[in-house]
Amino acid sequence: MTAVYALPARLDLPAATPLAGELRSLRGAPLSVSADAVTHLGTPCLQVLLSAQRSWQADGHRLTLETPSPEMDEQLALFGLSTADLEALPEER
Amino acid sequence: MTTPDPMAEIRASFFVECEELMEALQDGLTMLDGGDADDETVNICFRAVHSMKGGAGAFGLDDLVRFSHRYETVLDEVRAGRLEPGHDVVLLFMRAADILSDIVHYSRDGLPVDPDKVEPTLRELEALISDEAEEEEAEVTDFQPMTLALPFGGPPADRVVRIRFAPEPDLFTSGNEPVHLLRALAALGEMQITPDLSEVPTLDALDPEAACLAWEIVLTTNRDRAEIEETFEFVEGLCKLSICEEQSGLSLPCLPGLPPLAMPPAPDAGVSPSAEVRPRLTLTAPPDCSDPEEGTPPPDTAKTHAPQPAPATPIAVESPVATAARPATTPPKATVRVDLDRIERLVNLVGELVINQAMLSQSVAQAGLPTNSPVVQGLEDFMQLTRDIQDSVMMIRAQPVKSLFQRLARIVRDTSAAVGKPVRFVTRGEATEVDKTVIERLADPLTHMIRNAVDHGLERPEARLAAGKPSEGCITLSAAHRSGRVVIEVMDDGGGIDRPRVQAIAEERGLIDPGQAMTDAEIDALLFMPGFSTVKQVSNLSGRGVGMDVVRKSIQDLGGRVSISSSPGKGTCFSISLPLTLAVLDGMVVDVAGEALVVPIGAIAETMAYREQDIRSVGPRTRVLHIRDSFVPLLDLGVELGFRPAKESNAGSVVLLVANEGETLGALIVDAIHEQRQVVIKGLQQGYGNAPGIAAATILGDGQVALILDPVDMMAKAGTRPGQTQPALAPTG
Repeated sequence: MTAVYALPARLDLPAATPLAGELRSLRGAPLSVSADAVTHLGTPCLQVLLSAQRSWQADGHRLTLETPSPEMDEQLALFGLSTADLEALPEER
Repeated sequence: MTTPDPMAEIRASFFVECEELMEALQDGLTMLDGGDADDETVNICFRAVHSMKGGAGAFGLDDLVRFSHRYETVLDEVRAGRLEPGHDVVLLFMRAADILSDIVHYSRDGLPVDPDKVEPTLRELEALISDEAEEEEAEVTDFQPMTLALPFGGPPADRVVRIRFAPEPDLFTSGNEPVHLLRALAALGEMQITPDLSEVPTLDALDPEAACLAWEIVLTTNRDRAEIEETFEFVEGLCKLSICEEQSGLSLPCLPGLPPLAMPPAPDAGVSPSAEVRPRLTLTAPPDCSDPEEGTPPPDTAKTHAPQPAPATPIAVESPVATAARPATTPPKATVRVDLDRIERLVNLVGELVINQAMLSQSVAQAGLPTNSPVVQGLEDFMQLTRDIQDSVMMIRAQPVKSLFQRLARIVRDTSAAVGKPVRFVTRGEATEVDKTVIERLADPLTHMIRNAVDHGLERPEARLAAGKPSEGCITLSAAHRSGRVVIEVMDDGGGIDRPRVQAIAEERGLIDPGQAMTDAEIDALLFMPGFSTVKQVSNLSGRGVGMDVVRKSIQDLGGRVSISSSPGKGTCFSISLPLTLAVLDGMVVDVAGEALVVPIGAIAETMAYREQDIRSVGPRTRVLHIRDSFVPLLDLGVELGFRPAKESNAGSVVLLVANEGETLGALIVDAIHEQRQVVIKGLQQGYGNAPGIAAATILGDGQVALILDPVDMMAKAGTRPGQTQPALAPTG
């Protein structure tokens, strides 16, 4: 059963700690992150998402990013990244 | 400068640069003369002249090119070790530098250069290397000035700039966000960005507000470095940043304080950056979880997996290495040229701020808030800040007196040549910093004093030899900070003031009564009397006795004093004492007949309560104060200023002991002392002319205008009419 988590619109510095908390609590199972509402992606939240990618990868679970908003795509590109960099696609154990 | 012509601006900055080069040249020549020169000193001189020649060539300033070329040729001989820079040679070099300076000024103002002034020195210079003169002559005409490629007309070429940017946690908490910086950077050209994800931990180890990302950016742009740096302006100190330019092997130094980072490899050197628009992603997690390294993130994938660095990659660490190779040269300080008007405006604004802050304190005091209330405490911090700002602003205006001293060195040389007395000019304390306005206004009086010292102070060489002194006279010019003031001294080792002669001249001119008994100090002071000088024209170079009264007036206008000390046979010393700045003053606010007055702290030696038993009457209207076994004149300030008639009794008043340069001059009676504080000086001269005993005015915290007293002047005015204490500012009606 894949859990679904919807990202808030503003992923700025104040959002980073709550986001990390939410994602930590969802660890240990496949996760689908919905990013259609994101209007701003700041570096601290980007770090959390990248860290989540590493965690899920290490745990051997799938982490996917669904329907990224155009803003999210644009800002990821500025960081030199794409949505694929936030996804963990290990072979399920 | 109203013209938008960029060439005119560059031309103007060339002449400013010339001034700096002249300074470097003078410095180098002084070191050569002092014997503490090395190879680099000659190089500095040579480069200074050479740079002027190069710039002059670009602007078609033929006179300047011609002179500097020949000058440079001779300096090159010294550099090559074929010409020994003896004393005479260096003196000639200094004269040549003076002429070069003149030519620079003429060229700047578009005036023709008088060949009669230039040719003799040129011939002397060439006589030093006469063997090669002919050959050089040919070369002069061959000399093709290098045309400068000026940055306008045609679009600038694209360059590749490599940036490594690693935010620190403070960058986020200070409200900055890399995505905005990266967006701004992307707008400057073609950006190719590679994130460094090697430091990103798993969620259990992550501090969400820490910084674990960095970026390598390759920017292909036609913008200049300043624009790129500007992007990072607000995050300076909040990130690790290196910016290196990849062009003709040129490595630009990293921003100050930022250590150069190890440069990860460039993308394939053969691929033009523009061909690869899609960001290059190097660090996605490997999809294969069976990878043995997978458990922990690879420590530095960017390094280990990367191809060899492209050979053209500039390494930022090159510059420190290059610097280390020449340890002797001190790196020039980063400076910025600012229009003086802007600084003046800032100084004025800070002055207003000080007044405003005083008004605020007054309102707070009147509100009767307890001293431990946050408002009062906050205000104290505010006052401290205001004071710091004021000091910093004053420091902007402060300049070392070096440039002034160098100008005076020339006066010494010129005067020495004109009167035929060889002079050694020694300067001390050139680094002493003084307000720029003060420096500018000191130039004239000091010029007169130096000329006087050479012309009158020093004896003729024969007389010096007869007196057992070296034939070469010595003029010493020194500057130093002493107890909040600047003291500048002009000393000569001449015969000292011929006091009987001075007295005789004064008698002859009717300045003093014949046969009047005078102390040495009184006789010396005669030199400053109007009418003592034999020549009225102060600008007359060769004339005898340049008006010292004018000199003293100029110094006094600056809030300074000038004093003389002289001992027969040994020399004379003129000492000028000046305030550090003309904008603020520490003063004591006193009350006289209901009026607030400010007395400069520097002039007050002591304050005491008025005691009738200390007062002695000398004559009908003159009183003296008995203090520590001596008597000093006592003036009632209220009477002196015409504020009120003399009181029956001054009981309850306060007495201020006025001193100048450590010497107690007299005492002033005031009604009360209010406080001690810093006041902003507002000049009165422009509106009201010069009032004796009054230096300027200020605005107090309650908005009241208060006069700033010049107690020394007031004492002096009273002292010139012994036995009288007429009100200096008595109502004329």
